[in-house]
Amino acid sequence: MQDRQDLAAGAILAAIGLAVAGYAALHYDIGTPRRMGPGFFPLGLGLALALLGGTVALLRGGQPMPRPALPELVAVLSAIVIFALGVERLGLVLTTFVSVLVASVAAPRGGILWRLLLGCGVCVIAVGVFHLALAMNLPLWPRR
Amino acid sequence: MSGLDGFLHGLEVATSPEVLVWCVLGVVLGTFVGVLPGIGAMATISLLLPITYYISPESALIMLAGVYYGSQYGGAVASILLRLPGTPQSAVTTLDGYPMAQQGRAGVALFVSMMSSFTGSMIGIAVLVTLSGMLSRAATAFGAADYAAMMVLGLVAASTIGSGSAAKGLAMVVLGMILGCVGTDVNSGVQRFTFGQTQLLDGINLVALAMGLFGVAEVIGNIRQAERTGPPPHVALRALIPTRDDLRRMPMPTLRGAALGSFFGALPGTGSTLSSFLSYGMESRIAREPERFGKGAVEGVAGPESANNAAAITAFVPTLTLGIPGDPIMALMLGALVIHGVQPGPMMLQARPDMFWGLVASFGIGNLLLLILNLPLIGLWVSMLRLPFRWLYPAILVFVCLGVWSVRGASFDILMVAAIGAAGYALTLARFSPALLLLGFVLGPLIETNLRRALLISRGDPMTFLERPIAAVFVIGTALLLAHSAWRAIRARRAARPAV
Repeated sequence: MQDRQDLAAGAILAAIGLAVAGYAALHYDIGTPRRMGPGFFPLGLGLALALLGGTVALLRGGQPMPRPALPELVAVLSAIVIFALGVERLGLVLTTFVSVLVASVAAPRGGILWRLLLGCGVCVIAVGVFHLALAMNLPLWPRR
Repeated sequence: MSGLDGFLHGLEVATSPEVLVWCVLGVVLGTFVGVLPGIGAMATISLLLPITYYISPESALIMLAGVYYGSQYGGAVASILLRLPGTPQSAVTTLDGYPMAQQGRAGVALFVSMMSSFTGSMIGIAVLVTLSGMLSRAATAFGAADYAAMMVLGLVAASTIGSGSAAKGLAMVVLGMILGCVGTDVNSGVQRFTFGQTQLLDGINLVALAMGLFGVAEVIGNIRQAERTGPPPHVALRALIPTRDDLRRMPMPTLRGAALGSFFGALPGTGSTLSSFLSYGMESRIAREPERFGKGAVEGVAGPESANNAAAITAFVPTLTLGIPGDPIMALMLGALVIHGVQPGPMMLQARPDMFWGLVASFGIGNLLLLILNLPLIGLWVSMLRLPFRWLYPAILVFVCLGVWSVRGASFDILMVAAIGAAGYALTLARFSPALLLLGFVLGPLIETNLRRALLISRGDPMTFLERPIAAVFVIGTALLLAHSAWRAIRARRAARPAV
């Protein structure tokens, strides 16, 4: 199992490296060592990454991978995406509240009352720090 | 400006009310996140970067530095009481600190760690002042080739020294450098890897990258783990008082640790985690009764704690005098300075004496504050350990989003954080170091600029890297490090094969 994990990671890195090198070679001027074009450095880096990714895949050392925390990953990422999409439209207060609720889904303990309380608490802190203290130019409530 | 004049001038800067407030805020916050397992100095500094836009560059640097060395003090608390290192630098402290706590001597262990941390920091400051003066004079002889070679050495050292796989470390550094290429190329004006996204013209935002890699990825990984701890023991103020025997055992390991830490901290790529491990190794080897180590030896707490704090201070030497960050935290500090339009380098001592000496003086003030505040407040810090992570992480996430947004008011950057956070979590799962990626990201553009300049001067002749004596030393050092890790990998594979 551990073999396959490093094999996959190394292969992905090597593929990224080759893609970067290829893209740089096709789209940007390489130039000469004396007058390097914008493609020279990325081309070199891409090839280096391909080489290193290949080495990682070949060596296949390391311990087995821990189980990924998928529910946590989904909850946290959704909370951030909701925040990104909502903050300019729905305003600071509602977005913060919803994001905290979504993020807290992954918490190992705590009931619905705790989540609501936490949401209100974080809203108060966010408004206090970012709206009152730092005077950030963000709407508090949904725009009409 | 000579050392003493400079320091006195720095004291003036660092004791002005505005700066002092940020210094106090930095060290208190640093201790707080150091104590809490689940969020470290790296994540906190990334989180605070946007706030530094609102304050003066001196205050910003002093606050961020305070978070860094404050977290070293705090990290020891969780290490000693729960055997959970609050920071990687304090991992060694668990080896003898936790046994001391089990023997009911937690208070003494905390006292020893704080006194040694303080002493280590003070010695680190003295070394910082001496070395910076010397280095900034020497650095005027550095050319583009020398800088490029030194940065490459720093990156190779950071990825090959230490525990993990060298190939994985180097791959992360290179990946970081590739990400550093994104945006408008300063030399030609060509847009690289922007794929038509105008949001990427200025490159990937350092704040978004750091928050994704450290804020978000750490939160995801810690939600479940941080809950699995028992309650910390109660520590009364009187329990801090050491015995005469403890006091006798403290000074020498502390001094040796400080010497070791000062040295390795100033080298690019090694840093404070390594020096605390080395100090522990040295103390257990030269001790008259090595069997006491691992069972609550005072020396095993004093040495490493002194070493990691000294290293945290001297790590600023290459960052400030050469403009080259030796570790990822220093890379963030450098990023904070660049945000404010300050370019660290050999000229900084002359051009920005306020900033340099103010920072040095703030180290002294901050460490004194930590010592004065933390000993009486130890009960408060211990009770912090009872704060469950589930109360904190939703707030951390909201702060991450707001912080990134505040940099330039772009929701795009928040989406970047989500993507980078997912990638960063995947990298940690597969045991790749996101910290090295960040180091490559910061140093990559600097290396490219210096490489181009060096080869332009030498008319495209790569031999310039071997003909210039300073560059040659760095190139040879890099080659030796690479050869050593290749040899180590081959040997490890041979040794592993029969077992498979």
